[in-house]
Amino acid sequence: MTARSVKAGRRPFKKTLRVMWDYRWIYLMLLPCMAFFIIFKYVPMYGIQLAFKDYVIKGIAASPWNNFEHFKYMMTEPEFLPALRNTLIISFYRILFGFPFPILLAIMINEVYMPRYKRVLQTIYTFPHFLTWVVMAGIMLNLLGSTGMVRKVAEIFVPGIGDNWNLLYNKAAFRSLLVISDIWKEAGWGTIIYLAAIAGIDQSLYEAATIDGCNRWQKIWYITLPGIVNMIAIQFVLRVGAVMEGGFDQIFNLYKPPVYETGDIIDTYIYRLSFVENTGVDMGFTTAVGLFKNVINFILLMVANFVTKALGQETVL
Amino acid sequence: MAEVHARVDKHGNVHIAKKNRIRRFGVADFVLLALLTLLGLIILYPFYNAILVSLVPNTVYLRYQGLMLWPPEVTLEAYSFTFQSSLIWYGFKNSFLITVIGTVYNMVLTILCAYALTKPIPGGKVIRFLIVFTMYFSGGLIPFYLLIRDLGLIDTLWSMILPTGINIMYMLIISNYFKSLPPALEESAKIDGATDLRILWSVILPLSLPLLATFTLYYAVERWNEWYNAMLFVKNVENWPLQNVLRTIINDVNMMATQNIPGQAKPDIKGDAIKMSSIIIGMAPIMCLYPFLQRYFLSGMTLGAVKE
Repeated sequence: MTARSVKAGRRPFKKTLRVMWDYRWIYLMLLPCMAFFIIFKYVPMYGIQLAFKDYVIKGIAASPWNNFEHFKYMMTEPEFLPALRNTLIISFYRILFGFPFPILLAIMINEVYMPRYKRVLQTIYTFPHFLTWVVMAGIMLNLLGSTGMVRKVAEIFVPGIGDNWNLLYNKAAFRSLLVISDIWKEAGWGTIIYLAAIAGIDQSLYEAATIDGCNRWQKIWYITLPGIVNMIAIQFVLRVGAVMEGGFDQIFNLYKPPVYETGDIIDTYIYRLSFVENTGVDMGFTTAVGLFKNVINFILLMVANFVTKALGQETVL
Repeated sequence: MAEVHARVDKHGNVHIAKKNRIRRFGVADFVLLALLTLLGLIILYPFYNAILVSLVPNTVYLRYQGLMLWPPEVTLEAYSFTFQSSLIWYGFKNSFLITVIGTVYNMVLTILCAYALTKPIPGGKVIRFLIVFTMYFSGGLIPFYLLIRDLGLIDTLWSMILPTGINIMYMLIISNYFKSLPPALEESAKIDGATDLRILWSVILPLSLPLLATFTLYYAVERWNEWYNAMLFVKNVENWPLQNVLRTIINDVNMMATQNIPGQAKPDIKGDAIKMSSIIIGMAPIMCLYPFLQRYFLSGMTLGAVKE
């Protein structure tokens, strides 16, 4: 009895081993991939313990624990809470103004019945997506700077406005600058997902509506919009899930100290403290700030994942 | 039902011309086209303006204060200055290397991972979870920096290549596609005694070429646009990719003058023209290729959005 049960217990294990042997090539293929994930994704996660330690030059493991000092300091650090606030405000503006824009644009593009011209327009709209913020910011700095064309045009309409021209380093204008330039770069690319959703709408609905005498607005309102509303909802949830990402690339390439007050986000704050300004801040402190951000991010993404699943979208986790 | 004329073009796409599509060009169409064209012009104008600034002599630029619709006078001085800078050539060389090596590295890892995940291997669920988890959570900047430093990759090209291995979204889309291929093909190869690696190479890959081409392009553009890791890890100017060179020129155009051929005097052209000429040179490859490759880029996006 005992011998049999042991044997029965071992058989699946043996079988598993045999199956694994059958798949030996697959494991071999996974080997470099898992090495990549372990080295470049999981080893940094091991480094998170620095958030609870005082960093010493000897390394992460040798650094002494410090009883949550970094988290206590975070709440009193004069620039941290403003950076958190800016991250949320900038993300909120991006959602408020930047999110509806591609939807509107996709519906408009879809109403163009000249296929060739439509393609030309789409090429123009999507092109800036493939450039970096380094390039985009370079062009913007010239365009909006004191020798740039925008100042001259503004002078024509409002004489004298160019005397103290300071659009780029203006605290009040910086967030608007971010939102508008983000639309310039990314709105066209954002339309594609909606155009794909529109293309998936049953064409016979439009035909039936035409026969019933619907006009164009009615077709947009009663067929196109309901046809993509699920996609809009999913995109919205994903966008809200990424609210802690304020857009490092864009802000980092555009901002200068005068606009830190309104433009500094968590990511730029971490980078600035760690690498740019020689403030002598502990590596553990910026790790702690990063952890703070990543944990909130993680929770938001989990919620977003859950909601999109409820909306009927296949999700990866 | 309206009468339908179907036509198949050389790519195998079916075009259906519906009779009820033929419509009169109304006021609404006119307004729509005007708005969309205006938006197109607004998007393009900054680029056009950058080209103008790079082309006109400094005196003209100052006289017009940046507002020109057409270059009153053209000089290629800024371009010749930019091309003489060793910085730009370092940038092109390094970006090219990073793009070629990096894209191959990306595609090899992505394809291997995508294919392996289609198999019901023991432990597969755990592996999949471990991979997808990294999409949602990461160690953050400092631990990542310390890792690269401890690996001794600082100031090497590898610091810009190795850390960006697999884009999980692309990998999952490719994996889904592999899964959708008819299993009979694989089984018959298996009966002939082919190993999994052999099957992947001679059965799966040839069937997936268009999809793989799309994601190769995606990776290539991302590698070409690399600057973040370079900014973190590479201090040596000679190892900078193009974007970091551009960043430096944009922030401080004098940097370029000091990097020029020794003994050469700084020419009398304004920094703006040099900055813009560098930017135009930097974005030229994408600007020239994009209109022809746009189709592939858009198809990849659609694949990600609409899962079969």
